[in-house]
Amino acid sequence: MATSTSDEAQTTQTEEPLLDVNLLKEIGQKALVDALNSVNGAKTLVLDASLAGPLGLVIEVSLLKHHGVDKMFWLESGPLSSTTSNIVYLCRPMIKYVKIIADQIKRHAKEAQKHTYTLLLVPRLSTLVSRILEEEGVLGDVRISSYNLQFIPIADDVVSLENENAFKEIWVDGDETVIYDSAQALLTLEKLYGLFPRIVGKGDQAARLATLLTRHQPSTLDTLLAQSEKIDSLIVLDRRVDMITPLLTQLTYEGLTDELIGIKNSHVELPVSLLTPPPPAGTPGTSTAPPAASASLKKVEAKKKHHLTTATDPLFAELRDLNFSSVGKRLNKLARRLEEDYKGRHQAKTVAQLRDFVGKLGGLQTDHQSLRLHTGLSELLVPLTRTDQFNKTLEIQQNLLASYEIPSQLSAIEDLIAQGSDMQTVVRLLCLASITSGGVKLKALENLKREILQAYGYNYLPLLLSLAAPPLGILLPNPLPASSPPALLTAKYPFVALRKSLRLLIEDSPEALDEVENDISFVYSGYAPISVRLVQCVAQKGGVLSNPAEKEKAAGASADSKAQPSIKAQAHPIAGWRGFEDILATIPGETVDIVQSGPSGGSAVSTPLASLLRPMQQPTTTVVFFLGGCTYTEIAALRWVGRQNRGRKFLIATTGIVSGNSIVESISGVSKPTGPKDAAI
Amino acid sequence: MSGERPSSRWQIMQDGKTFYKRQQLYSIPGKLPNLSDYIVAGCRYGGPIALMRDNTKLVALGRTTPAITKAQIQIYSPAGEGLLLFSWDQGKIIRFGWTADERLAILNEEGTYRLYDLQGDYQQHSLGNEAGEMGVIDARIHDNGLVALTGSLSLLEVKGWEGARPLTLANPDLSQPPNSWAVIPPDLNISRHVEVLLSVESTIFSVDNLESVDQRLSQGPFTHVSPSPDGKSLALLTFAGTLLVVSSDFQRTLAEFKTGDVASAEGSVNQVEWCGVDAILVTWDNLVVVVGPFGDTLEYSYSGPTFVVTEPDGVRILGPDVCDLIQKVPKSSASIFRPGSTSASAILYDAWESFSQRSPKADENIRSIRPELAAAVDECIEAAGQEWEPYWQRRLLNAAKFGRGFLDLHNPTDFVNMGQTLKVLNAVRFYEIGIPLTHLQYIYASPSHLITRLTARNMHLLALRISAYLSMKPDAVLKHWASAKILRSRPSATGTGAEADLGGDEDVCKLIVDKFEHLGGADVSYAEIAKRAWEVGRGGLATKLLDHEPRASDQVPLLLSMKEDRLALVKAVDSGDTDLVYHVLLHLHKRLPLGSFFRLIEDGGSQLAPASKLLQVYAREQNREMLRDFFYSDDRRVESAVLSLDEAASILDPASKITAVRAAQKFFSEDKDRGFESKMMDESARLLTAQQQLEKESDGKIVFFGLSVNETIRTCLVNGMAKRADKIKSDFKVPDKRFWYVKLQALISTTDFEGLDTFSKSKRSPIGYEPFVHQLVEAGHSKEALSYVVRCDSPRRADLYVECGEWRMAGKECKERGDKAKLDAIRQKCPNSLIAREFDQILASMK
Repeated sequence: MATSTSDEAQTTQTEEPLLDVNLLKEIGQKALVDALNSVNGAKTLVLDASLAGPLGLVIEVSLLKHHGVDKMFWLESGPLSSTTSNIVYLCRPMIKYVKIIADQIKRHAKEAQKHTYTLLLVPRLSTLVSRILEEEGVLGDVRISSYNLQFIPIADDVVSLENENAFKEIWVDGDETVIYDSAQALLTLEKLYGLFPRIVGKGDQAARLATLLTRHQPSTLDTLLAQSEKIDSLIVLDRRVDMITPLLTQLTYEGLTDELIGIKNSHVELPVSLLTPPPPAGTPGTSTAPPAASASLKKVEAKKKHHLTTATDPLFAELRDLNFSSVGKRLNKLARRLEEDYKGRHQAKTVAQLRDFVGKLGGLQTDHQSLRLHTGLSELLVPLTRTDQFNKTLEIQQNLLASYEIPSQLSAIEDLIAQGSDMQTVVRLLCLASITSGGVKLKALENLKREILQAYGYNYLPLLLSLAAPPLGILLPNPLPASSPPALLTAKYPFVALRKSLRLLIEDSPEALDEVENDISFVYSGYAPISVRLVQCVAQKGGVLSNPAEKEKAAGASADSKAQPSIKAQAHPIAGWRGFEDILATIPGETVDIVQSGPSGGSAVSTPLASLLRPMQQPTTTVVFFLGGCTYTEIAALRWVGRQNRGRKFLIATTGIVSGNSIVESISGVSKPTGPKDAAI
Repeated sequence: MSGERPSSRWQIMQDGKTFYKRQQLYSIPGKLPNLSDYIVAGCRYGGPIALMRDNTKLVALGRTTPAITKAQIQIYSPAGEGLLLFSWDQGKIIRFGWTADERLAILNEEGTYRLYDLQGDYQQHSLGNEAGEMGVIDARIHDNGLVALTGSLSLLEVKGWEGARPLTLANPDLSQPPNSWAVIPPDLNISRHVEVLLSVESTIFSVDNLESVDQRLSQGPFTHVSPSPDGKSLALLTFAGTLLVVSSDFQRTLAEFKTGDVASAEGSVNQVEWCGVDAILVTWDNLVVVVGPFGDTLEYSYSGPTFVVTEPDGVRILGPDVCDLIQKVPKSSASIFRPGSTSASAILYDAWESFSQRSPKADENIRSIRPELAAAVDECIEAAGQEWEPYWQRRLLNAAKFGRGFLDLHNPTDFVNMGQTLKVLNAVRFYEIGIPLTHLQYIYASPSHLITRLTARNMHLLALRISAYLSMKPDAVLKHWASAKILRSRPSATGTGAEADLGGDEDVCKLIVDKFEHLGGADVSYAEIAKRAWEVGRGGLATKLLDHEPRASDQVPLLLSMKEDRLALVKAVDSGDTDLVYHVLLHLHKRLPLGSFFRLIEDGGSQLAPASKLLQVYAREQNREMLRDFFYSDDRRVESAVLSLDEAASILDPASKITAVRAAQKFFSEDKDRGFESKMMDESARLLTAQQQLEKESDGKIVFFGLSVNETIRTCLVNGMAKRADKIKSDFKVPDKRFWYVKLQALISTTDFEGLDTFSKSKRSPIGYEPFVHQLVEAGHSKEALSYVVRCDSPRRADLYVECGEWRMAGKECKERGDKAKLDAIRQKCPNSLIAREFDQILASMK
């Protein structure tokens, strides 16, 4: 059954192609090439390291070389020696980078080296940068230009700004730059595909973004945008609306990889042995047994970055969104399928059949290599999921979500601290406790905070303060002190009510979880992310209250399995939050619902026509934008939602991919000291 | 004249194939002064010419030429109408020329250049200090920039006309100024960068920003260097009068021609200009010669000195009496009007003429070209665009329309567009407007360019009519009109009192706004107009106009310059554009005293909160001193404390670090709600002091400073300072559980199993003994772990034995407890058959 649904999903996907996000990649690529070509001759490229990952998704090094890039350096403090007279800096407009650049220029001047400097700022020019260059006295030596890198496609249906710090900048620093940049990037989408006919959203910052989007209209009017025909709406959710989801441990294959090994800009660091094909294998049929001894070697083995993408890795598409518990089974099945395919050569009798087989061989080898990789990767993950601390963490999460014996969960958290769990894990659990139960009793909270400070260092005090301060406020005492700012007093998160009204916790029966992706809650083994439920409130209203897959199963049981595709319901047109206004009102933050019509003249005729046409068979895309980042589980859940209906696909747009750890780390300003954790194997 | 076929005025080259035509654009007898006394610069696309007296030439003082000693620039339209006259009060003019948007760029010897529009307003930029010191001795000005030759014989390039910083091009190492030189503009080069061609001795140097290349020519020196309009070829004229045409990469010589062979030429050559891409125009005082690609010539004589301007599709000649356009007859015209042409379009035209004379030949003709009719129609439309006389335009369009009638399907867009375009072209060609634009030039330069040019001449009504006619937005015109309106309606300086002034403002504002709303120019930026008003000193009007501006980003800079600080900041915050907020903040920070700067932000309350946050982000990196003052002035204890902690983190010196932490503690203690934080910081400072002490005790061999409480305890234990560890535990009230874990891990890491044993027996373990087993097994000490299994709860023991790898013990344990289910479960997992068999035995025995 599981295979039939997923196969069917794939076929429908080919029938109704999504918007071509590669267009965005090409735009990004061309803009960079143009920017580089504006500097004549060979050049040295100096890159801000945080941009290298995103850039790698847009352009290949060879293409850079092709456009005159002679050498590339990281933008780091210290002297820069360049053999070319042109130096091109490419960085985000951050003060620290600008200071390094100014320093290097001054050093060159002192050593009487003559260079021509170009500074390309991503994504746009900044007064701040020119001001600092001016303060440092080198403004006159630099030509400042911009490279407008916006949405980068990281999957067929996901585009990202790849801004790691978006969450912290918005909710801790109060720096709205990301919102503005997001609005610009969404405007670019509008320029490509037409106006979003409807913008629905939730959250104060989402509302801010929506205002920017609609207000910027006049300046882009020279292109006279009409309503989009391919996109039916934009759903904006700011991360603050659902802080619970990222705090939980992601349990899909891709999500768990991110949690335990870490995925950065779609790249994961893996042991080299997993990535290079083994020496010519004697019999291809042994694919099911990857070298088991490798586990002990891993500690010393060199690591290499691997790009997790469905483009070169066909199996990944099947695996990435599965709950980790069913990954093993799927891998097994894939291995068997592959073996049978290989066996095909024995059936080849005639030369023509043999030729056919050889033709398929390349694909089989790719599959083989990719199967090896994923088997190895899941073998890395399995031991990590068997540790006491991991399971204790999951248990605490589940209990907190069910509001079960909060005090004993708090003491369980204290135990975790005593056992030396990661700071990130502990902070995530503590915040989760605070949100789900409307704050932690003051005495218990102070005790836990003290434990954290003593165990991990007093330098985490600013982190704890940031978590408690508005507008974030995800680590609060209960009751709140009377003197706390009004923003906190009014904005209590109604988790318990939502759990019921949005059907967040699903009774999971083991066999259902195994075989059928039962509900979006499969991504957290029984808990449905609020963010995706909110999307369902707009785009799949039935899915919030009951389970479309279950109905399908019931129907499928009676009907012939081949008739299933026709049972899939046609997606309903977007009607804003209708039906869920009351629930939305209880969640803190503004609620947005804006209908955008095109230029006044033509819209009078076209709008009713278009809205009449839309509910018919015309497939459409709904853009979901996560302001402040989204998790891999949310992507997986949204893909699941997209599969339940005909006629609507989701394009997921985000400021970046986040996990609880990345959020905590960005706020604390401390990243993991020793890279990925798998040194513990 | 209209009756003659256009071809009657064509001249044919000696090769018998190529036709050239001289189209008289305007008759301008006596309107221009004698051009030979002047330095002249002409603007492309039918633009005006600028004249300046050539001081090297003697001139007879007479009635017509008043004696003026000061440099004076005169600008005439191609129809000879004076557009502007102004005098130059700066240093000696080196060069002037026209920009792509029809402004006159004038460069003086001090490296200063000004850009004059046709109203006489100018912007001034400079080439920088170097050029100022060395002096500029020559320059070349092209559409989108200029290249200057300095006194030190180096080349400076300016890109665009926004006052960009000049770039130094590669040094050609000249010892004396070149005989002549030219630039190929960037848009005509493959490299997209400007290329300079210098005639030095017998060769040419080509210079760009990377290198200077000697092209190794031997025919030089050259008096004229002239690149073709497409940048692919060069015309070079030697002192001996030989005209060479070479490809611009100098790989091929395309043609050679001796100007001395022109019999009627007298004196020296004035100009060498291109006519199209395959013919060159050489001018003498009274004579203009077109030299074709194979050395064929056509001569045209004039009654006096001429000035020629290369156009994309021909060349414009200004003589004493006429303004002419010489161009190769376009293919479409030639195909229709060439004597004896039998092309389909010629026949179509013929058919239409027959038809209009009611001759039956029409039908016969049409039939004969039936298959090519569509192409013939297109060609007639195209040819109509090439004609200057409305009479012929109309005839050709009629022929096209006639032909269209015989076609089932024909896209009428071209036909309609051509009709519209010609109407526009005829209007602007009218001598009072004086823009002799050809159809091709119009297409090249775009209709909006034409509109801009009209508004630059203050011809707003025509511009508005044309944009309405072409259904273009009227914004650009309206904007320009409003600016002009503001300038014109300047209230009289004699001062009729403030009230009269105000009334004027309101009237003008209302006039402008009404006009915009009436004409649908809703997208016009009011800010730009307001800026204009502010610049001419009408602040009141500027404020009024700004109120109508919907885009904050446009309002802000002006508000700042008007010193409307608070409003500017509010608008900037409102726009969501953080860069704009920074712009305002940095500007204000520079201008205002710190106190009032802070007050401005603090008084803004929640409305300006984002600005306050941004200021903090900026100051945290760049100006901590200011941030400290800012927090202090606003009584923000917590922020002050965090800032202090932030600094403590980066301080290495122990004493000052402790001081910083103490400072933070003090800040917290001043806020009554921050008792907890204050206490924690007190602990932190105490810990640091204790760590200092510990380091001293270990003679600085062990690093303690900056570790967490846990780490400090661990380090003590690892280094055999157990007493100290206990003291830290009690000083910081570390709970037993945590202490036991830390100590457990520390002892295991030093493999101190004896110590571990003593520790485990020191008192009843608050964490039980399972962690002992787990941690030991994890560290690879399964054997040592065994002794702790017995101390765990009995139901767990079997599993723990398995963990230690002691399967038999596990089996035994199960047997003792009689736990069959457990045994079964363990048997499932057992590693080899040997043990499995043993389990089976145990199982059997238990029955």
